[in-house]
Amino acid sequence: MDILVVDDDQLAGEMTTAVLEDCGYRVFQAENAIEGMQVLNQQPGIELIISDLNMPLINGIEFYQELCEQGYELPFILLTGDDPEALLAEEPRLSACVMKDFTIQDSLPAAINAVMSVRPL
Amino acid sequence: MMPSAEGNTYMSTSEQPLQKKIARLRVSFINQLPARLEQIQELVQLIANQSSHDQASISELYRAFHNLHGTGKSFGLIDLATIAEKAEGFVWKMLDAPDAPRAINWAVPLTDMIQQLREQIQSYADGKSLHHQVGAESFVQEYSHNNAFNNTAPLIYICDDEPEQVDYLVHQLGCLGYQVKSFTQTTEFRKAVMKQRPDAVIMDVYFPHGRTGTDELASIKEATGRELPAIVLSGSSAFESRLSAVRAGSAAYFTKPASPMSLAAVLDELVEYKEEEPYRILIVDDEPEIAEYHSLILEDAGMIARKIYDPSMVFETLKDFSPDLMLIDMYMPVCNGDELAALVRQFPEYVGLPIVFLSTETNAQKQFNAMRAGVEGFITKPVVADELVASVTLRAERMRTLRSLMVRDSLTGLYNHTTTTEMLISSLANAKRQQESLVMVMIDLDGFKSVNDTYGHMAGDQVIVALSRMFKHRLRSTDVIGRYGGEEFALLLKDIPDNLAEELVNEMRQDFSKIIFCSGDKQFTCTFSAGISMYPDHDSSEGLRMAADTALYLAKEQGRNQVVVSRKKYE
Repeated sequence: MDILVVDDDQLAGEMTTAVLEDCGYRVFQAENAIEGMQVLNQQPGIELIISDLNMPLINGIEFYQELCEQGYELPFILLTGDDPEALLAEEPRLSACVMKDFTIQDSLPAAINAVMSVRPL
Repeated sequence: MMPSAEGNTYMSTSEQPLQKKIARLRVSFINQLPARLEQIQELVQLIANQSSHDQASISELYRAFHNLHGTGKSFGLIDLATIAEKAEGFVWKMLDAPDAPRAINWAVPLTDMIQQLREQIQSYADGKSLHHQVGAESFVQEYSHNNAFNNTAPLIYICDDEPEQVDYLVHQLGCLGYQVKSFTQTTEFRKAVMKQRPDAVIMDVYFPHGRTGTDELASIKEATGRELPAIVLSGSSAFESRLSAVRAGSAAYFTKPASPMSLAAVLDELVEYKEEEPYRILIVDDEPEIAEYHSLILEDAGMIARKIYDPSMVFETLKDFSPDLMLIDMYMPVCNGDELAALVRQFPEYVGLPIVFLSTETNAQKQFNAMRAGVEGFITKPVVADELVASVTLRAERMRTLRSLMVRDSLTGLYNHTTTTEMLISSLANAKRQQESLVMVMIDLDGFKSVNDTYGHMAGDQVIVALSRMFKHRLRSTDVIGRYGGEEFALLLKDIPDNLAEELVNEMRQDFSKIIFCSGDKQFTCTFSAGISMYPDHDSSEGLRMAADTALYLAKEQGRNQVVVSRKKYE
C-alpha cells in the first residue's frame, strides 16, 4: 500500500517513514500541505495520508479540511505531540489521531490496521 | 521534498532493520540539536529587538519548540522533550495574548529554558563522545588508581540509597581493582551515565524518592537505545522484584547484603563479555576469488580471515597468524587438501588445530579418507554463507576452549606454570628486539597455609581468586599474569620504568591487604610479598626468575607484606 507522509520536520518524517517501510508500506514524503497535494496528484495509488499537526502556513487539520473540500475521501491519520482526544473532538471526521512518542513504532501500525480494516472495499 | 520512495532506492533502504534505522535517525537528530537551538536563540533575539509585536516570529518560535518536543519524544529523549514542552507552552501564552508579553519580562524565563535545553543537549553530546574514550581523566572517581599506568580497570557505578552498604561495596570493589563511583539518588546516577557510560552497574531496587532502580534502568535503556549491563540489589527476594529486574535487562539479582566477592564474579562476566576476541581463520585456496569470497563471508560474521593461495606458505602463516581454524580447498595444484592436512598434523603444536575442507566432493568414501588425515569437517561447494559461518564458529569455539584448558589455570583463568614460562622466554626475546625493558614480579601469599588450615580450602580459593581478579583489573592487557604454583604468581610487565613497577606492585599490595574475606561468620584479611627483577639488569629468562625469587625470599625474611626490588648488588 502507498502512503503519503506530511511533516515539516524532516527527521520526524524520516522516523515515521522508517516505521511504515518496516511494515512493508511504500512511502511518499512531503514537507508541507501544498507539496502533499502535488504528490497526491502525481501518485494516484496513495491510499492513506499521515500528517503532522503542527506545520507552518497550513496545519494538519486545515490540510485535512482542505482535502475534504476538494472531494478526497482518503483516510487521514493525524500525528501530534498534544492530546489526541481533544483533537478528535475538534475534527471528528479524522480517521485517527496518534500521539508522537517513543511508542510510535507500535501505535502507528496499529492505528493503520484499525483504520484500513473498517474501510469499505 | 520529493518522494523518497522510488523503485530501487526504496527497496534498498527498506532492507535495513527498523531498529538500526531509527538508531541512525536518532543520531542525526542529536547532531542537529545544536543547530536547532541556535535557530531558536536567533528567533528570541529577533523578537527581543523588535519594537512592535511580531506575531510571525513568535509563531515560528512556537513551532521550533513544538518540533523539538514532538521529535524529541519520538526518539525517546524524554528530558529534552519535557523542557521543550514547557517552552512551547510558554510561547503559546505569548501568542495568545499579543500585548501581554511586553508587559511581563518574557525573555528571562525563556532564556532560562533555553539554557536548560543547552545543558541537556550538551549531555547527549558528551555521552556520545565520551563513549569512545572510556577512562577519560576528567571524570572524578570515588576509588581511582594510579592512572599513569592503569587504563583497563572496568568502571562500575553503584546506585543505592543506604550509605553504609555503599561505602563497604565501593571500598571492597575498589580493592579488587575496579574503578567505582557511587550514587545515592537515581537522578545523579542518570546524569553520570549520560556523561560517561560505565562498564557495568550495581543498582538497588527501592529508593525512598523517585522511581525504582529497575524503572530507572529501563528508562535509560529506552533513552540511550542500549542496555546497561546491570546487577540488581534488593532487600526482597519477591517474585515481582525479580521480574522487574529481568524486564529491565538486569543480568543478575542479589539480595542484600551482597558479598563483594560474588558481585565481582558476576561483574567480571558482564565486563569480559565485550572483550571476546574474534575468531581467526586461515583460508588456503589456490583461487584468489574464491578465497576472497569465503573471507568476506567470515569477516562479515565478525571473524578475522587470512588468505593464502600457495600451500607452501602455510607454516610461516600458521606461526605468525596463529589461527583458531584452517579452511582448506580440497583440490589444489602442488599439494592437495588431505596432503596439506597431514603435513600440518606432523607438527605437535598443530595437532589440535581444526581443519575444515571445502570441496565439491560428495563421495562418502573420499570424504572418509580425508577424515582419516585428521580433517574435522566438510563443507560442500557452492558454499551457503550461513552454513559456513555456523560450522566454522562451532569448531573455532571448541578450539578456543581446548586451548584455554591447556594454557590456563582452571581456578583463576590465569596462565599456568608452563605457559607463563614460555611467555617469559618470548617476552624477553621481544623486549630485546624492541629494546624495551621487561619487569618480572614474583608474588607469594603470606601465611597462606594457615588460611587454608584455619578457614578451609574454600576460603583459600576465595583469596586466590580475589588476587587474580585484582591483577586482571589493574594490569594492562599486554601484561602477562601467571599462576606459578599454589599460592605463587608471576607477572610480566612490558616496557615500564622500574620505579613505576615498584609503585604499582606496592599499591596493589596495600589494596589487597584491605580486602575482607568471609568464611562462615568469621572474617579475615590476607597479604602478599613480592620480589621484582628486570631486564636489562638481568638478560636471561632464568636470571630474571632467579633474581625475582631471591628478592621475594628477602621480602619474606624481612617480615612479609612488602615489595623488594632486585638490584645488581643482591647478586
